[in-house]
Amino acid sequence: MASSKSDLPQGTLDLLILKTVALGPVHGYAIAQRLQQISRDVVQVPGGSLYPALHRLETRKLLAAEWRQTASGRDAKFYRLTRSGRARLETETANWKRLSETVGLILGMAEGGAQ
Amino acid sequence: MNWRHWLRRNDREANLERELSFHIEERVADMVRSGVSEEEARRQVRLEFGAAEQVKDECRDVRPARWAETFVQDVRYAWRNLRCNPGFTAVAIATLALGIGGLTAMFSAFDTILIRPLPYAKPDRLVMVWDGQSKTDDRTKSFPAPAEWYEWRRLNTVFTDIASTQPTDATLSGDAEPEQVPARKTTGNFCSVLGVKPLIGRAFNDQEDRDGARVAVISYGLWQRRYGGSPDVLGRKIDVNDTPYEVIGVMPREFYFLPARDIDLWMPASFPDEMRKNFGWHDEEVVARLKAGVTRGQADRSMAALSLQMTAKDFSGPHPTIVTSLREDLAGKTQTALVVLLAASAALLLIACVNLANLLMSRGLSRGREVAVRVALGAGRGRLAAQFLTESLVLSGLGAFAGLALALPAMRFLASLVPETMGPVRLTLDWRVLAFSAAAAIAAALAFGVAPALRGSRTGPQDGLREGGRGAAGARSYWFQHSLIVMETALAVALLTSAGLLLETFRHLRNTDLGVRREKLLTFETPLFRYGDFGRRDAFLSAILEKIRAIPGVINAGATSRLPLAPNETAATFYWISGQPRERIRDQVAIIRLVTRDYLPTIGARLREGRFFEVADRQSDAQVAIVNESFANRNFPGRSAIGAQFKFGRTGNKGYWYRIVGVVKEIHEVGMEEVARPVVYSLHEQGSDQLMIPPGGIAVRTAVEPAAIVSAVRQAIWSIDKNQPIWRVQTLDDIFARQLTTPTQSTALMGAFALLALLLASVGLYGVLSYAVTQRTGEIGVRMALGATSRDILLTFGRRGLALTLAGLAIGLTLSAVASRFLNALLYSFRPDLIPTITGVSLILLGVAALACLAPARRASRVDPVVALRSE
Repeated sequence: MASSKSDLPQGTLDLLILKTVALGPVHGYAIAQRLQQISRDVVQVPGGSLYPALHRLETRKLLAAEWRQTASGRDAKFYRLTRSGRARLETETANWKRLSETVGLILGMAEGGAQ
Repeated sequence: MNWRHWLRRNDREANLERELSFHIEERVADMVRSGVSEEEARRQVRLEFGAAEQVKDECRDVRPARWAETFVQDVRYAWRNLRCNPGFTAVAIATLALGIGGLTAMFSAFDTILIRPLPYAKPDRLVMVWDGQSKTDDRTKSFPAPAEWYEWRRLNTVFTDIASTQPTDATLSGDAEPEQVPARKTTGNFCSVLGVKPLIGRAFNDQEDRDGARVAVISYGLWQRRYGGSPDVLGRKIDVNDTPYEVIGVMPREFYFLPARDIDLWMPASFPDEMRKNFGWHDEEVVARLKAGVTRGQADRSMAALSLQMTAKDFSGPHPTIVTSLREDLAGKTQTALVVLLAASAALLLIACVNLANLLMSRGLSRGREVAVRVALGAGRGRLAAQFLTESLVLSGLGAFAGLALALPAMRFLASLVPETMGPVRLTLDWRVLAFSAAAAIAAALAFGVAPALRGSRTGPQDGLREGGRGAAGARSYWFQHSLIVMETALAVALLTSAGLLLETFRHLRNTDLGVRREKLLTFETPLFRYGDFGRRDAFLSAILEKIRAIPGVINAGATSRLPLAPNETAATFYWISGQPRERIRDQVAIIRLVTRDYLPTIGARLREGRFFEVADRQSDAQVAIVNESFANRNFPGRSAIGAQFKFGRTGNKGYWYRIVGVVKEIHEVGMEEVARPVVYSLHEQGSDQLMIPPGGIAVRTAVEPAAIVSAVRQAIWSIDKNQPIWRVQTLDDIFARQLTTPTQSTALMGAFALLALLLASVGLYGVLSYAVTQRTGEIGVRMALGATSRDILLTFGRRGLALTLAGLAIGLTLSAVASRFLNALLYSFRPDLIPTITGVSLILLGVAALACLAPARRASRVDPVVALRSE
């Protein structure tokens, strides 16, 4: 279902959401906006993927949610990171870094080998 | 899952809605700000966000306990669906109600009689020990002798202890009106072997048993009835057979033991010393508790070996023992009846399930379009199957409720199946029965729901949505439905045949020649222990019989030591015919009855040869006897028995010679069993044999309704002895009817199951053919347009129905052959002829099947090709 300019690898969306929420309580629309802006439009998350993911993380108690007013005075559901959410973010980030370094290493080596 | 979850559910839905619409509104607002028109913005957002409902659903999917919500949704949907098809729903629920109700009622009887614990400590460790026959392959049980109990208790290695009881008559008198009560003499360890304690007071012990202490334990019923349930009954002296006994205990209300539920008094057996050596008097019922780790089989072998060793030098030859479980003895023949009937009711439920599977299958096919729409809307296959299965569950749940309503009256009927030995039990709808019923409903839902659910959910969207498409009605689904029809027909045939065999047996039993005329024969018993002396007894009997004969409406009256159709037999004796070698005696046993002169004519016995007893016999020195046909045929084949002489027992050269003066046609002395046993009737008035049971059973032949003279009979006896108890007043018809309770009930139930099975099977056949006709209307139209006559069409469908029926019949008859083996135990050693039953069943089935085929086949033959082709 997650499509657009770039497909996100399995499980990456959760990590991106956790990271975005880590910056401070934020509602779903803002998460989508931020992901799009920061990734310079590379990552576009359709509502069909975002909201089930948010609800799943909430169910797993990695995120907590409460209804608050936005700056414009509208009611919105704000998500924030729970303690276990923060812990998860740290391990996942470390995992991701290790993985991407390893993948980078392998890809670099493969190029070298071909020459 | 808790209630808060459900309360929060609506809240949650609203929040989900709010959250998503906030997202959409914000996005639209952003786009409008960047200069897009609001209309265009909304369109774009819809495209990029996706279908809002689907997003919601995916959000719901991640919630915990999502399955429960889905289930509730499915139940609601199923309910709506069922309500839209009241005809289908009613048929389905009625079918299930019959199946589940029948099985539930049968299970309640099964549970009460065979599963529920008996009122003893660790009842599964209790066994009965019986004497076997000298021929080891014969497992006929007979009563052991006190001497055997004594030796077994001393020498056995497999029991922690062995107790014995014997029947006795007890007349209570002194404190209130004289009352005759059923009583047992028991050894001092009886209660400790069973592991029961009196409700109040105590049981007697070995010491008291040995010393012949005059103590008694009474039943709860007697305590309430005669002593007002007062605890000061303990220590009270009551007169038992004119001897004072001290009441030392009252048994609990639920206590019972062989041979019947109504024992009111237990007294020490206090066997006299000579009984401990006498192996000749067999009237004990012996109960034992297995040692830890010993199985019934081991005990059986060990005791058989011990007994063979003990009786090695016995003059009648060594015999083994038979160790049976106590429950088996308590339940008796009912056990087999219950197993057979439970199996029959399970078969009925199975037929009901098969029928429903077929119905659902047909319905699933015609619901192809609905399924296709749902598939197109994104329903997965598992989701669809779950939905179909939920529908089945809802159906079977409703069926179970209706079934329980049917089971309740059925249980009242079944209560009479509880054997007399089991005590006063009632069948109730307790949690065990309810749990069973629920399990049966779920099993049924799975049995009839799974195949249609899998099949129904297989439909692809394009199949069902095609114009005029009718789903996936391929040859395979016909094949499956056809095998279901064959299966249910086969089961119905097996049930019908079993019912037919039972009915044959029942008719045979009902028409059994009892050797007496059962109509208008009043019987009762009056104990003669107070007339131990022959002269007094003879005078008393003559006087009361004379008085009874004088009552208007009485034709004749006579007395016997035991009335016909006795539940069991203890008074069998060896005999020896003049001129035979002495060793023949050990193979020859006859039942003896001491009767008054008029007894045989009174009960309507028929002479084959010779004469009845006569007044002149009384004065004669020569002992006379009348024997039955079995006795005559066995000992005097092909010649007359009249004038032959025989002796009883091991009397050697002592003892009287009896001269045979008459041969009567077989009289059913013991129960309804088939085997004929030699019987000797000897004349009480000759006063010869003190060892025999005195004739306390009175038979009165009346010209009027027997009930009308009962009080006159009582008055007649009380006018001679006002303390003489009279009990077990009943007509021979009553006794006969009670003997037939189990066969009557089994036959009625089996018949009901079989008819329902036939009904369901024919409904199933009708349904499948009807459906096939509907499905193939177009094809029929084409064939008719191409020149097929309506007769051809009729034959096509008729042939198919016939083929299915014949296949079912063939398999069913094979099943019946297997089933009839299990039925044998219920058939009272009667071997009914299979051929008439099978012929009857086949004809009935073919007739019913023809009817079930006819309607759809005729409908097919009347298809108007023009209409049919237009509808395509």
